Amino acid sequence: MSETQKKALADYLIALADDELILGHRDSEWTGHAPILEEDIAFANLALDEIGHARLWYELAATVLGADPARFPDQQVYFRPAAQFRCLQLVELPKGDWAFSMLRQYLFDAFEQHRLAGLVQSKHKPLADAAGRIRNEELYHLRHTRAWVPRLGLGTAESQARMQAALDELWPYAQALGAPLPGELDLLPASWVPGSSSLFDVWSREVREFLKEASLAVPEVQGDVESDRTVHSEYFPTLIADLQEVARLDPEAQW
Amino acid sequence: MMMENKKTDSQWPRFMVFQQAAEGAPVLHNGTVHAPDLEMALLNARDVFARRPEAITLWVVPAQAIYTQTREELAARQSVDQASEEQADYYVFGKFEQQAQCRQIGEVSAGSPRAAMQAALTKYADRQPLWWWVFPKAAVLISTPQDREPMFAPAREKTFKDQAEYPVVTLMRQLRSKQKPDKK
Repeated sequence: MSETQKKALADYLIALADDELILGHRDSEWTGHAPILEEDIAFANLALDEIGHARLWYELAATVLGADPARFPDQQVYFRPAAQFRCLQLVELPKGDWAFSMLRQYLFDAFEQHRLAGLVQSKHKPLADAAGRIRNEELYHLRHTRAWVPRLGLGTAESQARMQAALDELWPYAQALGAPLPGELDLLPASWVPGSSSLFDVWSREVREFLKEASLAVPEVQGDVESDRTVHSEYFPTLIADLQEVARLDPEAQW
Repeated sequence: MMMENKKTDSQWPRFMVFQQAAEGAPVLHNGTVHAPDLEMALLNARDVFARRPEAITLWVVPAQAIYTQTREELAARQSVDQASEEQADYYVFGKFEQQAQCRQIGEVSAGSPRAAMQAALTKYADRQPLWWWVFPKAAVLISTPQDREPMFAPAREKTFKDQAEYPVVTLMRQLRSKQKPDKK
């Protein structure tokens, strides 16, 4: 592996991991607060799965960089400055109401399903293997969120209105899913990773149709969408401060 | 004066959850979940009951679709006329000890839940459960072989710590003593 490839792959994996971590963190904020006990358990499971996937990607990045895979994930999560995270603003947004969190999870999972299908075909075997492990669980997540979207969209006037409001807010942020990940352009020629823009086209068609059937109208996107992963939302510094507070109190603590 | 006694129960309906742990293993009653419908009940059942333990198949059935009779109730009752309704297939389950899970006994065809119960008593006369459950096959949603990988495979790879493995109390003691450097 050339130095350029190494750097590109590590950047790519850390961006994937950061998306999963921050989405999982936002989802975990529902624990103890979801609308019904069963869903509380289900969504906490899902949050934990996302954080587990983040760990897998961080570990893979560690092996690429020659870092210790046992320590690297914690270093990245608990001791990295907010400005060095490479997640999308889509996953940083506060959890909102149940419709918002569920719809965000659906939009993200639907995209991820296509990306994982591409990564399973990767010419870089460790990447293909990790994607294979994650894909199973993500298939289940997608089934769960796909079950909720039409039930809320076609439910009551209130659930429909909340879903539509969530879609109006989320849709512009979701456009950033189509932007190439850090390192992606260096990894594409060797077929190590799928191209985000072509995944986005497939995703966009599929999601639009599904939302329409759930009585939800995709809004027009006005103006430019921020897709630069070095630019974070106003909510992100607080999120990272919360996430890192305890670990930073005693960096050497054994958990 | 008439009192309005309207039930305003906002709770979702209850579904019984059954689980099969391995090929050839009995289908056992595991507990209940609330859900708005069968599909959501199956998903909830997976998250509540099958995330950690082994499972290859989950069943969910609306609690109200289950017709149940205890051994005592059965002893006291009259035999049922064969109902004129259309014949349907029923699953038969029984609970054999107070502490045991309700388990699958077999299947019968009958024209009503009561007739199904009677058919079960005849067909499985050698079995003596404390109580019987019968419910129509059509009321059940069973996870498919295709569901196995996404629903149950990830649990097999997961390690999890038992609560007792977290030495929280010891750690807190150590942390507190660290904060008081003058005391040894």
